[in-house]
Order: sequence, then C-alpha cells, then structure tokens
Amino acid sequence: MASAEKTPYEKPLLEISGLKTVFPTDDGIVNAVNDVSFSIARGQTVGVVGESGCGKSITGLSMLQLVPSPGRIEAGEILFHRNGTDAPIDIAQVSPKSELMRQIRGNEIAIIFQEPMTSLNPVYTVGNQIAEAIVLHEQVDKKTAHERAIEMIARVGIPAPAQRVDEYPHQLSGGMRQRIMIAMALCCSPSLLIADEPTTALDVTIQAQVLGLMQELQAEMGMAIMLITHDLGVIADFADEVVVMYSGRVVEKGTVDDIFYNPLHPYTQGLLKSIPVLGRTAEKTLPSIPGTVPHPLTLPVGCSFGPRCPERMPECDQMPELAETDGKTENGRHTVRCWLHTDLEGKG
Amino acid sequence: MTKLLEVNDLRKHFPIQKGIFQRTVGYVKAVDGINFDVQRGETLGLVGESGCGKTTAGRCLLRLIPPTSGSFIFGEEEVDLAKLTPHEMRPFRRRIQMIFQDPHASLNPRMTVGDIVGEPMRVNRTEQGSALQDRVVELLESVGLQSQDTRRYPHAFSGGQRQRIGIARALALQPELIVADEPVSALDVSVQAQILNLLAELREKFQLSYIFIAHDLSVVEHISDRVAVMYLGKIAEISDAETLYQSPKHPYTEALISAVPLPDPKAQRKREHIRLEGDVPDPSNPPTGCYFHPRCRYATDICKQETPELRQVAQGVQVACHHSDTLELQGV
Repeated sequence: MASAEKTPYEKPLLEISGLKTVFPTDDGIVNAVNDVSFSIARGQTVGVVGESGCGKSITGLSMLQLVPSPGRIEAGEILFHRNGTDAPIDIAQVSPKSELMRQIRGNEIAIIFQEPMTSLNPVYTVGNQIAEAIVLHEQVDKKTAHERAIEMIARVGIPAPAQRVDEYPHQLSGGMRQRIMIAMALCCSPSLLIADEPTTALDVTIQAQVLGLMQELQAEMGMAIMLITHDLGVIADFADEVVVMYSGRVVEKGTVDDIFYNPLHPYTQGLLKSIPVLGRTAEKTLPSIPGTVPHPLTLPVGCSFGPRCPERMPECDQMPELAETDGKTENGRHTVRCWLHTDLEGKG
Repeated sequence: MTKLLEVNDLRKHFPIQKGIFQRTVGYVKAVDGINFDVQRGETLGLVGESGCGKTTAGRCLLRLIPPTSGSFIFGEEEVDLAKLTPHEMRPFRRRIQMIFQDPHASLNPRMTVGDIVGEPMRVNRTEQGSALQDRVVELLESVGLQSQDTRRYPHAFSGGQRQRIGIARALALQPELIVADEPVSALDVSVQAQILNLLAELREKFQLSYIFIAHDLSVVEHISDRVAVMYLGKIAEISDAETLYQSPKHPYTEALISAVPLPDPKAQRKREHIRLEGDVPDPSNPPTGCYFHPRCRYATDICKQETPELRQVAQGVQVACHHSDTLELQGV
C-alpha cells in the first residue's frame, strides 16, 4: 500500500514472512508458529499479544535460532537488515550454531526473558555476566569490559553500581535482576531487542519502573523492540504496532490505535472486552469469550477461533487469509484474518 | 448488613533463626497489626505487592498458620477463632473455605474430580453414598462442569476448568466465607473473565462473602465492594472500591493506580505517571515512622518519626497517612 506520509518507521529492520516453526511430538506435529508474517522497522516497538500457547514466545525464539529441540523452523523467511550491509540475511537459513548466528545473537539482536531469577547464572557475579557478552562481541580486554559493565549497571538505574557489579543474582531484588538482564541485553547496543514478558514476574510499581527504563533507553539508543506480552495494558502503554496471535497464527495486526479503537477480529474484540479496566466499575458481568484455547494437536477445521466465535458463519470451515482491510482504517496497514472482512469472491 | 467477621490487630511475626542453637535474631513482621471487617454477602479485596502480607493474612484467618496475636470475631456467635483449640476450630472450618492460586498444584493428581470435590463432605460426614454423588454432580454443574467429569482426573482439564474444580470443592460444605488467594492470576485473560463472572454469580446464589486477595488492581476493583490496600504488613487504606479508585487518600494507593497501564492508548498517553523509586523495604528491617516514607513524594519530617494510625477520614474510608487531609491525590 502506498502511504502518503512516511513515518520515521518506514525502513524495515526485520521482515518475517510465512514463518512456520514445528515441534514433532509422539502424538503428532505441533505447529507452534504457523504462517506468521510481520515486520519491524528501525526504532519501532512492535507488541505481540496473545494467550499462552499462541506461539508468541516461539516466534521470538525463532528469530534468534533458539527454538528448543526438537522444534525447528520448517518454512518461511526472517530477513534481517544488518547495519552497514545492503543484502539482508535470512536468519531462518542460518545454522543455530554457526559463527554468523553467534555474531548476531546478543550483539545485534538481544533478548530478555520473563524470569529474571532463572535466566541469570547464580554462580557468577552480575558484572561477570554482563562483561562476558562484551568480551565475546567486542575486541576489548577484561578490565575494559568490567568498566563497561559498571557503566551499564549505572545506566539501568541501579544505585551504587561499583559495588553491585560484584554481587551475585541472589543478592538483588526481582526488579534489579530484570534491570541487570536489560543491561546485559543492551551492552552491545543491539538494533533489535526482543522482550519476552519482561515485566510479568514483577510487581506493578516495579513494572512501571522497568517499562519506563526501557522507553528511556530506546529513545537514547534507538533500538527497535519486539515486546511479547499477554498484558494489553502494557501493549497500550508501549507499542507502536500490535500483532495479535491465536493458536500459532496472526489473526490481526495494525497500529496500536487501530487495534484498541477499531478491533476487527472477533477474538481481538472479545479479548479487549473481557479485561476489567481500572475505573470502569459500572458493568457487573464481564463479557467473556466462551470455551478455551484449542489444543494444538486437535485444532478445529478452518479458522481456529471458529468454535468460540460469536460471529461464526459457514465460510469459517476454511482458514481465511490475513488480508488488508481497505477503507476501514486511516492508517492503511490494518490487516485481519477473518471472513467477515475478506472478500469471498476474490478468493475464487 | 450484618457483620460476619471482625479482625482486630492481627499480627504474624516469623522468627529469623540463626546459628547452631537456632537463636532468634529478629522477626519478619509479615502482618503487623491489621484491622478490618467483612459484612455478610460482601467482597473485601485485599490488594498489595508481593511481600505485603496479604497471603499471610488470609492464611492466618483460616488458622492454616497460627497468628502471633490478634482476634477474629466470627459469625452471629461472635466466637474468637484465634483463641480456639484445633479441636474447637473444627466445626468452624467448614464455614470458612479457601480457593488457591495455582490450579495445577492445589488438586491431587491421583484423585478423580469426583473424589476431590466429595472429600470435604466425606471428611466432615455431611453426605454419604448416593446422596454424596448427587451433591458432587450438583456442585460441578453449578461451576459449569458436567456430571461425566466426576470420573476424570485433574490433568485432563485446562487451567480454567481446574480452577472451577477448586471452586466446587470450596463450595462443598456450604461455607459462609471464602478466602480466595489470587484465584485468577494463573489464568489467561479470556478465561479470567469467565472465573470472575462465576465467582460473582455464586456469591449471589449462595449468599457468600469473599476475601479476595490479589495483586491485580483492576481485577480487585471489578469484584470487590470494598478494598483494603496493604503495604509492608500494614493496611494503608480501606475504602469502598469506587471511592478508592476515583479519589485515593493514601499516596501509595495513588502510585499503585498510576502504575497500572490502562488498555487504552490515548488515555494512557495523557495520564501523569507517578514512578515510585526503589523497592519495597525488607520487612525484617522496616523504615522508621511511616513504612512508605522513603518512597513517598509527599513525605515530611513527621513521616520519618511517627507511624500513622489507620483512622477514619470519611464515611467508610480509613487511611493511615499523616497528610491525608491536605493531599489532593489523583485517581484513575
């Protein structure tokens, strides 16, 4: 689509198309990520939202070739436009253990995980763990790396960094550990940060601190962020664009305002209605989505949301395509996977 | 409305023991003198961050852990549950039940659903034989499960369905009060709404009272009639849900509300964000004066020296803050 005004986000950093990540199990093949396509521009924040099992975390891990065994990327492209080179790299084709992947991982694309307790090594000091990434990716000696680690700890707002650098993870609170994770992820100035539920394990006031910190650092360092979460409040606060996932597929994507003020997919609509919103006490019963997320091995025929959908039609026995919704949005990038918004005849 | 439960000056101090003689070197004051009451048919929300003592308070009420001091006056008989021996406590146990957070850990994987839901009735000998089976089916149906589910095991159910089983078990002895400790925080968003609706529906149907313990302010606001905000073992503010969120009287409540991101991008961009500095202090070594003063942006000298008492500032509104009369705090 030709968009008249160019936002500063037009240059793509990473383009995912048709990504399919599968897990062979004894009972059959689970398509954890199925035909997922979206792109992330430089400096942009893309929120990926969905319930447990929708494939949002596996999408993030696929982008770093970190899919746990026996899972593998079966199809699709993950085009990564590296700094300084014109031709993009297809991460989906790069071997997980190759030198190239190691260079990208942690250096150009970094990730922070949900559990700051389990993602730090308890037997090394936090300074050691931050310095490790610096020594690995940059030609510096240990002393310089240690100084850089102190600098990073100061930058993520931890008081007395010169002392904290020599402490072990168990000596820090949950919020501080997540700050250390952020320091570790950002020490090599990546162009993309994947944040997988970065604040889910934290209290609300600490969550506000950590999200604020991530926003400040993004403004300062200009990296793009892919924010994976189930919390729609965090998405509304932080994301520029939103990708809604259900059962391994993208069901809707658009700008944050499109998704929150003009949701088109019945799942997105149901999700937004079913959360209690602070300050809106009036309605006594929450409009809930009936049923539960289908099991990945026994997905319903056609649209996977069909059995729970209030708008189910005969067409829903076939899987609709993710299609543009022309004329229904100001921004023109709003797409949805639903027969309600797809031209039936056009599909033949 | 009649009073069902009155909690006076509840304290729970866990000793910190060190050395080979396990000498007590200090106390973690998990719950440090809280007062509240629950009316019949009411839901009282207990909200706060991790370590504020909300779960410990709930467990003390059921005498799952012995309280250090305090009294709980329960029911028309006005019996002080804190003073009863375990044997005397037994008849009251069936009148207060609990729903747990983790529906995976709180159901025995080796028992069928029918046995799980029927167990409280077998132990208390309230029903037997086919009457018990009928009652189990009735309970399962009232929480939205089916009669054939009695023979299945917990692993065959999803998280939301397991939580329904836990609720059916809590209802088995027709309790008057249910303490629900984070009953929806392990569930997905779409399932969370189903369980919240179910809890509200059951409250009407069986005239239940709830103490609803949670960290999620929007969930607590939705289900509660009144809300108590806890910080470091003390109650910072108690008030009816709407007043609390529209015009908070304690700076901590204001900061908590401000920290919750609203699922409304335009409103969220317009809001003023109050960011609390630092972490919750260590409960074994709390600050002097008002426990909140090191993080409070309105703190003055008096806050560092004197601990504010919980006092009534308006009808049904109690606040523990020296400056609650002069502060103009913002709500949602």
